[in-house]
Amino acid sequence: MGEAVTTSATRTDAVRNIAVSVRRVSMAYPAVLAVDDVSFELAKGSFLTILGPSGSGKTTLLQMIAGFQAPTSGEIVIAGQPVQSVPAYQRSIGMVFQRLALFPHLTVAENVAFPLRMRRFDARTIPGRVERYLDLVRLPGLGNRRIQQLSGGQQQRVAIARALVFEPDLLLLDEPLASLDRKLREEMQLEFRRIQRELSVTTINVTHDQREALIMSDEIIVMDRGRIQQMDRPQRTYRQPANRFVAGFIGLTAFLPVEVRSVREGVARLRIGGAELQGTVAGDDTLLPGGAAEAALRAEQVRVATTGAGLRNLDTVLEGRVEDVIFEGERIVYEVLVDGFNEHRVRAFDHDPALHAEYPIGAHVFVGWNVRDLLVFPA
Amino acid sequence: MRHYSTAYPLSWRIFDAVEALAKRVWPARFAPWLPYLLLLPALLVTGLLVIGLIEIADSSLHVLDKATFRSSESYSLENFERALTASLFRNIGLRSFLGAILVTAVTLVLAFPYAYVLVRTESPILRKLLLIVLFLPFFIGQVVRAYGWLIILGNEGILNTSLSFLGIGPFRLLFNYWAVLFGLVQTMIPFAVLMLAPALTAIPKETERAAESLGANWIRTFQYVVIPLARPGMVGAAIVVFTLTLTDFAIPAVLGGGSNDFIANAIYDQFFRTSDAGLGSALTLLLIIAGSAAVGVALLLVGIGTLGLAGHDDD
Repeated sequence: MGEAVTTSATRTDAVRNIAVSVRRVSMAYPAVLAVDDVSFELAKGSFLTILGPSGSGKTTLLQMIAGFQAPTSGEIVIAGQPVQSVPAYQRSIGMVFQRLALFPHLTVAENVAFPLRMRRFDARTIPGRVERYLDLVRLPGLGNRRIQQLSGGQQQRVAIARALVFEPDLLLLDEPLASLDRKLREEMQLEFRRIQRELSVTTINVTHDQREALIMSDEIIVMDRGRIQQMDRPQRTYRQPANRFVAGFIGLTAFLPVEVRSVREGVARLRIGGAELQGTVAGDDTLLPGGAAEAALRAEQVRVATTGAGLRNLDTVLEGRVEDVIFEGERIVYEVLVDGFNEHRVRAFDHDPALHAEYPIGAHVFVGWNVRDLLVFPA
Repeated sequence: MRHYSTAYPLSWRIFDAVEALAKRVWPARFAPWLPYLLLLPALLVTGLLVIGLIEIADSSLHVLDKATFRSSESYSLENFERALTASLFRNIGLRSFLGAILVTAVTLVLAFPYAYVLVRTESPILRKLLLIVLFLPFFIGQVVRAYGWLIILGNEGILNTSLSFLGIGPFRLLFNYWAVLFGLVQTMIPFAVLMLAPALTAIPKETERAAESLGANWIRTFQYVVIPLARPGMVGAAIVVFTLTLTDFAIPAVLGGGSNDFIANAIYDQFFRTSDAGLGSALTLLLIIAGSAAVGVALLLVGIGTLGLAGHDDD
């Protein structure tokens, strides 16, 4: 690796306002390739979520950025500096850990002051700075408490303050919300987002929770088996999944095996059992007429009605029978057996819980959706 | 189809019978007292020793009559006076206490990294190896182990023979204070490691990583995070090593060669050589009192809860 290459890369990053670039990074363990040739760039001040199931390599990637593991190959550049020879304690990275990893033998204020003392900040400025950051995370005046005296949510806030108090170039979140109950988790998601925007600190969050990814992020990377499946804004990740994996991982998706009849201008004519359908070809995939394919349809993009007239504004309207009803409180999921679809079911959310009504099992219903929401992937 | 009458193994049926019997002997309404009942055997075994201690206390108050070689009938504190004033016993006492303090300090310093690597290593082979090396001395026994050092460190021993090929020595490596301390440290390391390992296991790896990401190199991570969090284990290890060293018999006897006796050796001499049970008893009681006082002071200084026995009151 030539010195000149690194220098020019550094300069380019600074000019282009890039906070982190990961370049062709791989991590090989004896048995598995945990991270497989991953590259991405992250703009300063943005919030990136790496989303994936367990074993997708997302945590390994985060550990390498933090400096706890060295990549087998590739380069990581933070704030214009290649960091492979910089140990974790010299990187300007704040991290909130899965189990928070607060220091139980120190008070709240001592926990928050810890990075300032380790990084030799001017001792006279430390108390004021600690107070400012405790205010930021809305724990004013709790500095003298012991960690064990705080609630789960308050401990989260201490962990955030401790990770941010030394103004790091980068904030890493290693699934810190995974262990919280749902209400607190949703509260903390918005809180992380508020603080991140207030300080505009570049943030990389790791999670397996698709909802969290969609709520919090400017950008989402979906990972599976060590590879990036898609990197996009939340809306695009949701509406235009790049492949079958992404389509299945985000949303409540039903997959229907179909046969491709013809493809024209991105719209495919399909056959399933005795029925004919139209769908949108997803991503850059090419579909061959006569070949097998899979059509992905999200429950929330399917409407149910007792008459076809109720679904007039949708492209595709079919008849079927309610096979199963799953009551989830704020919504009801129907599994509908569409006439002519053989045994393949379509899932649909009821979007109007205000009516207090539900279709019983066996009811004859109409289901409808738009062609742009039925995404076709090669099988 | 299996026959269920034969499906339950014999041991199950035996326990069923025992349970039925226990139910008759100890009805369910006594259940709240069951833990105390189960405490009883251990209390009895420990309590028996108290009877011996009372006997020792009694005999410490009788002076040996040199003429008849029997304990005198009258009570006196003369044995304690001798034990506290005779320069022989004062030297032995000082030597034992100083030795116990030095051995405790050195053992903790040596055992801490051993326990740390044992707990933290990701290699199962290394962990097994470290455990085997740790437990091996327990199978050998103290006297044999001490004798092993004679073979290595003696004037004609392996070390001196090797050195003589280089034209150095021989050095007198045995039968001095340092040999005794060396032997004691070697004996105590496994105990200290076994006390430290659970305390270190209780510190999540993530906590150390957190310190690192916050800007602490490994020395500062140890100084500000690992060592403070390992304090319960360190206090426990220090107390165990200190008391075991203070009362040790075999190592000073074998590696000290009679010239570097500890208190236990002096007590042995009084009981079994000069047959002055009274003086031996007085020395024994003084050892118990001084040792307990030292441990008590240490616990007061660091807080009793640090042993990790008091639940969550202290942390």
